[in-house]
Amino acid sequence: MRFWWLLLLLLATFSVDAQTEEAPQPLPAPPGFESWQAVLDQARGTTIYWYVWGGSEAINAFIDTFYGEPLLEEYGITLERVPVVDTVDVVNLILSEQSADIIDTGGVVDLIWINGENFATLKQADMLYQDWAETIPNSVLVNWEDPAIAYDFGVPVEGDESPWSSAQLHFIYDSARMSEDQLPSNYDELTVWIEQNPGRFTYIAPGPGAFQGTRFVKQVLYHVSGGYEQWVGPWNPTLYAEWAPRLWDYLNVWETNLWRGGETYPATENELLQLFANGEVDFALTQATSGAETYISQGLIPETSRAFTLTEYAIGDYNYVAIPRNATNKAAALIVANLLLRPDRQAGHILPESGFGLGYAISLDRVNEEDRALLEASLAQLGETAADPAALAAAFAPDLAPESQSVIEQDWEANVLR
Amino acid sequence: MKYFRWIALTLMIIALILPLITFLLKAFARGWFFPQIIPRTWSLAAWERLFSPQSDLLPALLNSGIIALTVTGVALAIGFPAARVLGIGHFPGKRWILLVLLAPALVPPLAVSMGLSTQFLRLGLSGTWIGVSIAHLIPVLPYVILTLSGLFARYDLRYEEQARSLGAGSWAIFRRITLPMLWPGVIAAGLFAFLISWSQYLLTFLIGGGRVITLPILLFASTSGGDNAVIAALSLVMIAPALLVLIFASRSLEQGTIR
Repeated sequence: MRFWWLLLLLLATFSVDAQTEEAPQPLPAPPGFESWQAVLDQARGTTIYWYVWGGSEAINAFIDTFYGEPLLEEYGITLERVPVVDTVDVVNLILSEQSADIIDTGGVVDLIWINGENFATLKQADMLYQDWAETIPNSVLVNWEDPAIAYDFGVPVEGDESPWSSAQLHFIYDSARMSEDQLPSNYDELTVWIEQNPGRFTYIAPGPGAFQGTRFVKQVLYHVSGGYEQWVGPWNPTLYAEWAPRLWDYLNVWETNLWRGGETYPATENELLQLFANGEVDFALTQATSGAETYISQGLIPETSRAFTLTEYAIGDYNYVAIPRNATNKAAALIVANLLLRPDRQAGHILPESGFGLGYAISLDRVNEEDRALLEASLAQLGETAADPAALAAAFAPDLAPESQSVIEQDWEANVLR
Repeated sequence: MKYFRWIALTLMIIALILPLITFLLKAFARGWFFPQIIPRTWSLAAWERLFSPQSDLLPALLNSGIIALTVTGVALAIGFPAARVLGIGHFPGKRWILLVLLAPALVPPLAVSMGLSTQFLRLGLSGTWIGVSIAHLIPVLPYVILTLSGLFARYDLRYEEQARSLGAGSWAIFRRITLPMLWPGVIAAGLFAFLISWSQYLLTFLIGGGRVITLPILLFASTSGGDNAVIAALSLVMIAPALLVLIFASRSLEQGTIR
């Protein structure tokens, strides 16, 4: 709240004294609105329908209180969270509204938690409210120059969705079963580890609904091909054709020593977590900045679980919220998107209590001293169950272009699973 | 023969009860890992969450109940006369009519649902419990009609003629002859209707547009995650009314049987 007033004040100073060069550029008003104040006025006393993946009661409860309460108290907005099994259901809902000629307003969905393919589908169908994400006040805290934010699975964001948090794929182990110095630190060491510990490692089968598995295979592809730099940019089928055989060879060398001899693989993140929790395998995968704690606090894995990362190629990305073109309550949706980026909310969502514990979407360099201290304190609070944030940052790699997704999934099935 | 019946009964009880016991254990367990046979730590956390004031559970239960009961009532009202004609009557094109009626049960649900969703949006029925109830009738009716028409095929119309010759009016015949004779079938058809509506997810989501939250919407959403305690607790809540209906129905089945 304080930050928000500060920003208003800055904006006010700017309009009074146009010569002040240090004042930031005033943000344009969101499309269809006169000013941010108009957004606030229009949203007061309304209800927003926010469609969110509902697979975790912890996340559900967190959203209802951590965002629902300030929305009601500070902005007079009632939050109705709609739980969904899979975001693609919401995409279908919006597309059927489109075919019923509900195009510019009158839709049931005001805001969606989204990324990747679903974003691409709605963008392609021209069913997104456009050019708004860089107009909300807190968007100045986001580093839009970072390609990992400006491109969602390679699709340019172009102000059509606003980031909420970040995720980065890394590992979980059980400190009661193995010590830190027994952990592999890169892919070659992992290969040796698998050979020495037959049946104790597996990964999630790449496939629709299990993007973590696909992502893990991409990480191995980066390793096999000697780095991610050459893969940045549009999808390069020639480069892929050159390296794919080596990738499948690499994974097939592992296979006989994997869990169940690689005859079958866990199909989802949760199946892998359960194998890990029941002691069938020694590593699980996580995307959370808060590492193992997110799952420990839900009783899903043993309390002695810890997170760690290999030194290279931990693929990271951002997740976003988007507003459908036919959203009925765009004003309130803008306010929620803005609230998600507010430093005090960001400092809260990275903690395991949120149920997801994902990383920041805002940049520490762009907030004021006070907020920076707050955000750093939250990071420090993550403690020993999380991987070292510095190690994660050092191992960061961007994702491949979206075309790679289905190609890798199909080729993996043909070359590794069979 | 007697032994055989007992063995069959025991096997059925095991098949029905054993999974429920696992659910019961899971719903009250926290961090239940192999090789523990019984959970080491017990917790009411899942139940507290489900029944907290913020939870959507109670409104969802109410929605599910209202919709399933409405669907059952309407499906029987439509299905009963339809089944009578289809079961007793002989007329050209009867097979085709049956096929059309059964089509919704044979075509993949997603294909039907997407088209329905657009039509319902145009009609302004989306996002309402009435719209959802009407949509549920589509998968429900084939089962109701099929169950009842099978009964009518073996129904002896001469009972009704007898009653009429003794001076009974249409209503009296229906109430005193037709209904009591077909009662077990009506109950079975009603059960089908209730349970099919009670467990609809996709239609409810697409037609309700996320504005009509029923129990399956909550349950399916949570099964896409990994919180076993909450999934188990929700499943128990989901099964409970179905079990109650089943027990109630089986009792009235016994009473209704003409011996």
